[in-house]
Amino acid sequence: MKDAGKWIEAAKPEYTVLIDEKHLVTRLYDMVNVPTAVWINEKGRIVRPNEVAYVDNRYTSMHKLQAEEYLAAIRDWAENGDRSIYALSETELKERLAPQNPDWARASAEFGLAEYLYKNNQGAASIKHYKEAQRLNPDNWNYKRQAWALADAEKDYGTSFMKEVQKLNGKPYYPPRRLPETKKKN
Amino acid sequence: MKLQSLLAALALCTFFATSAFADVRTVIFDNVATEVASPPAPLATGEDLWVTLADLTKATKFVLKPQGVCRDELCFPIPKARKSAFLSLQGKITWFNLSEFARLTKQPTANDAEHAVWFFGPRPEEQNSFVSSLMAPNFRLPDASGKMRSLREFRGKKVLLLTWASW
Repeated sequence: MKDAGKWIEAAKPEYTVLIDEKHLVTRLYDMVNVPTAVWINEKGRIVRPNEVAYVDNRYTSMHKLQAEEYLAAIRDWAENGDRSIYALSETELKERLAPQNPDWARASAEFGLAEYLYKNNQGAASIKHYKEAQRLNPDNWNYKRQAWALADAEKDYGTSFMKEVQKLNGKPYYPPRRLPETKKKN
Repeated sequence: MKLQSLLAALALCTFFATSAFADVRTVIFDNVATEVASPPAPLATGEDLWVTLADLTKATKFVLKPQGVCRDELCFPIPKARKSAFLSLQGKITWFNLSEFARLTKQPTANDAEHAVWFFGPRPEEQNSFVSSLMAPNFRLPDASGKMRSLREFRGKKVLLLTWASW
């Protein structure tokens, strides 16, 4: 709340806001960046797994994603539920989900250790474990941004957010969303 | 003289406090941190974490039984040929190698030798259960007012689970 509270208050949310200091959700769902969303149906089944979830266009110049198509997809699902063309069938979902790669599992443990050390006043000791998490799972921007936010990115990690984005060299910052091209009428 | 005695007593307290801290190791298992006793010298070197059977249960809720290392209905038999890699009798105390157990169960681990902290992540079948069930993993977290909420309480409604950070 110390860090995120002012944004939560400004948003005056009508939805439930949860505070996840231990990065539990990102670990459970194997998320690697923010904003990431998962759609879950009334029975608790995932109908769309992790995907980038901007709901406005404030960073569109950077990632080229338009919020409108995503918002339209959410509205279609809210109206049509599992019949929405945006809700994935079990077969489609199984094609998109994969067991966690063992290096990512080790990265998650290193990140958890780094977080514990940092929160117990061992910030300097945490750095090598954040670095190891980043090495084992280089696709995970949460590991990078959390570490840099808690230290001096240039001094302690020899990098910065913009330098790392430039290193992508044209590769998209977010894995592309795979929404159906056109909306079918039910 | 009195002041000198007091200073000596304080120095002694500091010494004991420091050495007591060095004898404590921290295990993080299921995201819960637990302090456990340090093993005697033969088991204290290297990266493996040896714990007493009492600390095994305190930190992980696993219990050593004749059929294996068990928690509720779940049991992992200890390979007979490699029993000494898991168990070591030092004096009258049996020590259990939690790091070897993690290798047996394919549990990811990380440790910081200098600060004596060991982190144990979820076993692959725990982490990956939703890949086959397709059910959204449940969790409990506080809302902005501090009240604990769980994903499960939203059954019967659609949920857009959206993560965000203030970096």
